[in-house]
Amino acid sequence: MMQIQILFLFLHLSCINRYLAMIQIQNVSKSFKGNLAVDNLNLDIKKGEILGLLGANGAGKSTTINMLLGFLSPDAGKVTINDIDTSKNASETRKLIGYIPENVNLYPYLTGTENLDYFCKLAGLKYSKNELEAYLITCGLAKDAHHKKVSGYSKGMRQKVGIAIAYAKKAKVYLLDEPASGLDPLASNELSELLKKLASEGATILMASHDIFRVREVCHRIGILKKGILVKQLNSKDVSANELETLYLQFMQN
Amino acid sequence: MLKIIKNEWLFLVRSRIFLGISVAFIAILLLSVFLGNYQTQKQAHTHDTAKEHVRQQWVSIDDMNAHSAAHYGTYVFKPSNLLSSLDEGVNSITGNVLKVEGHVQNEITHSEASQMQSISRFGKLKPSLLLQYIVPLLLVFLAFNSVSNEKQSGRFKLLVLQGAKPLQIILSKTVSVWLYGVLLLTFILGVYGVLTFQNLTSEILTRTLLFFVSYALYYFIISGLTVFFSARWQNATLALTAMLGIWIIWTIFLPNILMSSAEKWHPLPSRSEFQAAMKEDRAKGIDGHNPADERSEALKQKVLKEYKVDKISDLPINFSGIRLQADEEYGNSVWDKHFGSNRAILKNQKESVQLGGIINPFISLQNTSMGFMASDNLHHQEFLLQVENYRRVFIKMLNDKYTHSKRTAEHNGNADNAFFRSVPDFEYQPTTISAVFSNYVLDLSLLIFWSLLVIVLIIFGTKKIQIV
Repeated sequence: MMQIQILFLFLHLSCINRYLAMIQIQNVSKSFKGNLAVDNLNLDIKKGEILGLLGANGAGKSTTINMLLGFLSPDAGKVTINDIDTSKNASETRKLIGYIPENVNLYPYLTGTENLDYFCKLAGLKYSKNELEAYLITCGLAKDAHHKKVSGYSKGMRQKVGIAIAYAKKAKVYLLDEPASGLDPLASNELSELLKKLASEGATILMASHDIFRVREVCHRIGILKKGILVKQLNSKDVSANELETLYLQFMQN
Repeated sequence: MLKIIKNEWLFLVRSRIFLGISVAFIAILLLSVFLGNYQTQKQAHTHDTAKEHVRQQWVSIDDMNAHSAAHYGTYVFKPSNLLSSLDEGVNSITGNVLKVEGHVQNEITHSEASQMQSISRFGKLKPSLLLQYIVPLLLVFLAFNSVSNEKQSGRFKLLVLQGAKPLQIILSKTVSVWLYGVLLLTFILGVYGVLTFQNLTSEILTRTLLFFVSYALYYFIISGLTVFFSARWQNATLALTAMLGIWIIWTIFLPNILMSSAEKWHPLPSRSEFQAAMKEDRAKGIDGHNPADERSEALKQKVLKEYKVDKISDLPINFSGIRLQADEEYGNSVWDKHFGSNRAILKNQKESVQLGGIINPFISLQNTSMGFMASDNLHHQEFLLQVENYRRVFIKMLNDKYTHSKRTAEHNGNADNAFFRSVPDFEYQPTTISAVFSNYVLDLSLLIFWSLLVIVLIIFGTKKIQIV
């Protein structure tokens, strides 16, 4: 009887977990011309959670993100966002996603506000000038930059507009590919604060990065990818930055 | 789609390089339109002056033997065409003056190319030259990296993520680039319309509209193909190289190859062969100037019998006039045979070249451009035919007059001024577009076919385009 109760409890918890998980990656493998880029990856990210994926170049971070974006289909396994299969119904899952690549390349001949307006309109969203500016301010772009052409923006400023695009889209899921790469410490810190704020508002965030310290600071959970295999998952609270670095280096060197 | 097109245009409008190139190009286009219009007006004025002068010479003849007048002859001038200020076609090389006289069908002379070496070498700066060769190149330079740039920068991903479909993006970019070409075309036709406003007729407007449609279709083909290559290949240089290759093959090599092949498949006789054949056939007929000719003798007997007299001197008419007209009519049948054969060969050549449009839409564009602007070989042949018909009427009038102006003791047998005034001047009847249209349906259809092919290529090719 006790065993049956434990089994029901396990099933119940499993269902809750499934319900809470906004992003689910189940037994996913992906190879390119015979080279395995992602190998039987399993990963759940809950609503309001920030997960950091650490790994060297070619570890499979970008491939994982591209599968979540629906631009690549897994060879095996299943990738879902909000229980919708990304390879079968990409147009639906993309509505939920905000994507911030390493370099947010906006249209240089448009201003920050015009870029935001254009990308919002593509998503079928029409905002007033004031609303657009409010989004930019929320994402940390100073007001005096709003009407300057993006060609004069720093990388950090472009990242902020990129996040504003996702934010204005009311994305439920944020996928960030090396977002802090090349940012100065101040801009990087501002980005961290912004991501924490978004998570506190219920956003699910997956951040692929090389930056161990930033990941440790921002993310709730951390996964270490090596040659497409998730070799370690841990809570950032359970480890200091130095311990994480040691652990990471151990995995990379072995 | 409209949002993407609008954004593409914002880029164009805000790009100083693009604006600079556009302004410079529009200035050259304007210059070509003004020059073309000026040349056409000048040519029309020269034509009118020469025509009036020749007519005055003719109507000033007071007293002349009608047959001498047939040898004196007159000149007809190919009228300058208002439309040819846009596309001169074959006009600058075909000549524009033709002497009309008895016994002989002269060839048209005084082409501009024969008098100005620069024209024969480089052609004239006409809008068609820029619209056919340079505008497509501009479109290629505008479009070759339109999608590859988006892909390389990662914006393509972002656009798709925001809900834009790859097909929408590629079609929108195609339309944006195409619109640039269409705007240049519209601008030029607008300026042309303003310059020729007083002479615009529904015929000219219809022809101009068809001219516009042909170019718009060709620009779509070029824009669509370039954007498609840009989407297909991540490397923009590859797309540019491919399109420049296509441009060179379409505009330089294939037209020459196709024309040479058509001439080889349907060869025209050489000038000496043609003249020898004409001479040989002509020798089989009556010699109008040789009373001792065998066939002339037979005609004489027939006429004497008809008038029931025994001698020519008893005839109430001048038998020489009948003999000359018989000679003329025989000459006409020889001309009809040989020129008819040449016209059939030219028609076959034209049809072969038209079929070249299956592999080269530029050929179709050139055909429709010249055809709708009334400067193609078809219009030229029509002009020659009208001149020959006029010559026949002209010479028959003179021969009839000569026949019925028998020299007597009271009358010297010459025609008076009233007669010469009664001889009508040559009036060219322009070919109507309805008569021309059927000749270019194939070219227009091929341009439409190519446009549809490009759309199909974009639709199916887009499915295979990799976003990452």
